[in-house]
Amino acid sequence: MTLPPFLRRWETLLLAMLVLIAGANMAATPFYLGVGNIVNLFQLEIEKIIVALMMTLIIINGEIDLSVASVMGLAACVAAYLFHAGWPMPVALLAALASGALAGAINGFWTAYVGLPSLAVTLAGLIGYRGIARILVEDRAYGGFPDWFNALGQQPQFGPLTVSIVIFVVMFAIMAVVLHRSILGRLVYVMGNNLQAARYSGVRVKRVKLLLFIASGAIAALAGLLYAARLGSVRGDMAVGFELDIITIVLLGGVSIFGGSGNLLGVGLSILVILNLRNGMGLADITGNTQTSVIGALLILSVLLPNMAQAVHTKWKGRET
Amino acid sequence: MKKLLLASAAAALIGVLAPHAAMAQATVKPGSAVDMVLLPKFLGIAVFDQAHNGAEEAAKELKNSKKLQYLGPTPENSVAGQIEIVTNAATQGVGAIMISNNSGDQIVPAAKAAHAKGIKVVTWDSPIPSAEGEDVFVAQVDFAETGKVMADMALSILGAEGGSFAVLSASPDAANQNAWIAAMQTALKEPKYAKLKLAGIVYGNDQSETSYNQALALVDKYKDLKLIMAPTTVGIVSAAKAMQDENLCGKIKVSGLGLPSEMLAYTKNGCAPQFALWSFVDLGYLSYYTAYALATGAIKAEAGQSFKAGRMGTYTITKDPTRKEGLRILMGPFSKYDINNVEAAAK
Amino acid sequence: MRWLQRHIRPEQVREFSLLLLIVLAVLIFGSLIDGYYTSRTFNRIAASVAIITVVAVGQTLVVLTRGIDLSVGSIVGCTAYFAGAMIAAHKGMSPILAVLIAVALGTLMGAINGVLVAFGRVPPIIVTLGSLAIFRGILIDYSGAKTVTTDSLPSWLIDLPRLTFVTIGNLDIRAMFALAVAIVVLFQLGTSFLNAGRQFYAMGSNPDAAHLIGLPTRRIQFSAFVLSGALSGLAGFMFLARFGSITVEAARGLELQVVAAVVVGGVNIFGGSGTVVGAMLGAIMIGTLEQSLFRLQISEFWRDAILGLLILLAVASDAVILDRLRALWARTDLKLVSTAAPEAER
Repeated sequence: MTLPPFLRRWETLLLAMLVLIAGANMAATPFYLGVGNIVNLFQLEIEKIIVALMMTLIIINGEIDLSVASVMGLAACVAAYLFHAGWPMPVALLAALASGALAGAINGFWTAYVGLPSLAVTLAGLIGYRGIARILVEDRAYGGFPDWFNALGQQPQFGPLTVSIVIFVVMFAIMAVVLHRSILGRLVYVMGNNLQAARYSGVRVKRVKLLLFIASGAIAALAGLLYAARLGSVRGDMAVGFELDIITIVLLGGVSIFGGSGNLLGVGLSILVILNLRNGMGLADITGNTQTSVIGALLILSVLLPNMAQAVHTKWKGRET
Repeated sequence: MKKLLLASAAAALIGVLAPHAAMAQATVKPGSAVDMVLLPKFLGIAVFDQAHNGAEEAAKELKNSKKLQYLGPTPENSVAGQIEIVTNAATQGVGAIMISNNSGDQIVPAAKAAHAKGIKVVTWDSPIPSAEGEDVFVAQVDFAETGKVMADMALSILGAEGGSFAVLSASPDAANQNAWIAAMQTALKEPKYAKLKLAGIVYGNDQSETSYNQALALVDKYKDLKLIMAPTTVGIVSAAKAMQDENLCGKIKVSGLGLPSEMLAYTKNGCAPQFALWSFVDLGYLSYYTAYALATGAIKAEAGQSFKAGRMGTYTITKDPTRKEGLRILMGPFSKYDINNVEAAAK
Repeated sequence: MRWLQRHIRPEQVREFSLLLLIVLAVLIFGSLIDGYYTSRTFNRIAASVAIITVVAVGQTLVVLTRGIDLSVGSIVGCTAYFAGAMIAAHKGMSPILAVLIAVALGTLMGAINGVLVAFGRVPPIIVTLGSLAIFRGILIDYSGAKTVTTDSLPSWLIDLPRLTFVTIGNLDIRAMFALAVAIVVLFQLGTSFLNAGRQFYAMGSNPDAAHLIGLPTRRIQFSAFVLSGALSGLAGFMFLARFGSITVEAARGLELQVVAAVVVGGVNIFGGSGTVVGAMLGAIMIGTLEQSLFRLQISEFWRDAILGLLILLAVASDAVILDRLRALWARTDLKLVSTAAPEAER
């Protein structure tokens, strides 16, 4: 006997996990179900999950972008620096977005047109873009932004929801359409599966890759600006180390690190799993390093357990025949 | 919670009935049940654990039936982690939260939200620079004095002929280190320090490896360097080890803020003849008393309020002269360590 | 020239081109920094490179088999801490036993990774991203935030970084650097000439083919992780000796430096090609850049930006040089074929 197909799917596993975690949270703490808490649960990691959406496309495409957290920091620092140099805030924000897109274009150029591995290029970017952010702000902290800017990340604007959360939801929808319903999305998968084949069948692989990296840079910059709005102040170390959390979210979502497979539904569920898990543990007074360890274990187990089940299953079948 | 409200109502009533009561010394009544959270910059650093011990000691004395939560983020996630912990504490509706702030003003929105829910926000070790969302800062020492103490140690090590020295700090974003260094630079303008030359400032990010390499780089970069001043317990040990490994202790000394137990060997062999620190156990103890007194309504977060903090005696809330806004309770004093007292202190 | 081309493949010239880049970097820095050509500069770079190199050797083996080991920083931190705590508790412990304990602990952690990857069939990046967090978490929970302090360690350990292995002219080759070089030589020979060593390449170039021709692919993958763990354990011991005071944060982020060294060293991140010597050269390249940038009279805040740019240039110029060489090889190969073919017809 075999399991019905939907039960063998990664997304089913994630959904089961989510139900389990939500149930445990409800049992463990009365604060979990409050509207405020549910909003906070998204708010606290909102920038990471926005970047994770674009990272999904990059990884399915067979590449990786380790520089996203540094680009987040860079964009925030560019905006703060220009604003304090007397530029109007909206112009400073546009310049910051442009700096992110430029950073992405540099990653994309070296990866797509020169043919260097994206891991190497974006590792250099991780160090270098953070360095540029540091040059701009040095040891200072910039605050005093206009109220409307801080409100973007702090005040509820749509019912109980903040602008950041709405941006995330809209972006999720856009990404889902792009990845699963557009030609570009098909190309992302085809190139991730077999770059040579895509090239020989006339796909402009260089252009697609460049575009993806530019988008990754721009979206990371947007997330960095939202982060600055949420915190109301900018420093040189903003978002340091976020890249590992972002990649963890994508991988737990069932996206293969070798490219070519995975989908946005899985990543969406993985986001919910990790956010609810962190929130539940936080409310149960479990500290940061234990939270990270538990998510690490979850990441391993989520692949290991199905594999073992599969192995046992195959063995059983072998015995029957 | 109910008890808490009653207590604060009572305190408010007393405030109305006796307008001068605010100036009198409040008594901190033990036995209230207050949920309290102690939040260090991050976990795994010895001095924060000492502060935790001090807070537990105070909790026992005050017979608080609620367990003190010692929660901290991981260092690579310190800012986001601190904000998360403050936000969750607000959701849980705890009575008071004690923060060693590593997030500069970035913690302000979260702290304000907690404050708006009636939670007392006490900072210790490192304050919120703008003081927004903060009730009171329990200052280990006066930040301007820290600068003077560092300048004095440099003068006493370099002697009358002076010389050039460099600062090895924590991260460029550490608000307290930045404030101390700025205070030191101000102090150095006095004529008696005229022969001391500050060559440069580098950052070891409170990581032993980086601090060690930065200390060595300072030696290469400044040929006439005579002293490395490290206002961080991680930096000072790494710098001392680096000088010892390179047989440079005769030429370049190390000083700054350090833990006696970690510095013992280097003071004995002359690499670090003098350094200073305050008691983190006492800092944790006093922070707990302050937060508890605020949460039970025994005192209010206003200048002039004073209370007796157990074995440490009486403390008064004053305006913080080192920040534009904000209140503080000054603990002090500095303990200076050298070859004569380091061994006893290291025990 | 033709003889050269027949006996050396372009991949083998890669190490040579990296060496040229290092020499170039040294020349440039030498002209910018007074008193750069001293034994002190050499020692600085050698000391900072030694630990990274040892870890990078293990990482190379893992990357050759199409894997990646992101948990090395946590393994180095754990072994440094636990070995330090153990030595502090038993001051009379013999140095050899202390090293063995560190290596054994590293091996155990590597074996956990290896079992999950090779037998649990979990992708290496997922396993080691997880164990990166788990190993560090165990360390933080277990240690109770205590720091291993220098004065609790015996003097043989504290003095180890100063121990000189051999003196050439006025260059002191310190024991830790000599150890790192010895390990590189050992593993270079092993991967070039031993059957077991060649299997890492076979497995990485084409895992399916390797499996089909009967290579024990799971065991190869497992042993790569075990070796990576063991070498990280050894590096943990070196870390303990070098830095003396070990907090639970020791070596956090080391994995990125190691991966950078391996990538700059020309090890193909998709497996199958690259050498241990290359990884060492990558580590030396980055170490040289980093230590020299420390000494330039530029602001603290410019260093990272320049370092990022230089790493990118190193990788890019290496790739461009290699491409040129490949093209050169290919052209002469074609010529050989076209001149040989008519002869055969006759």
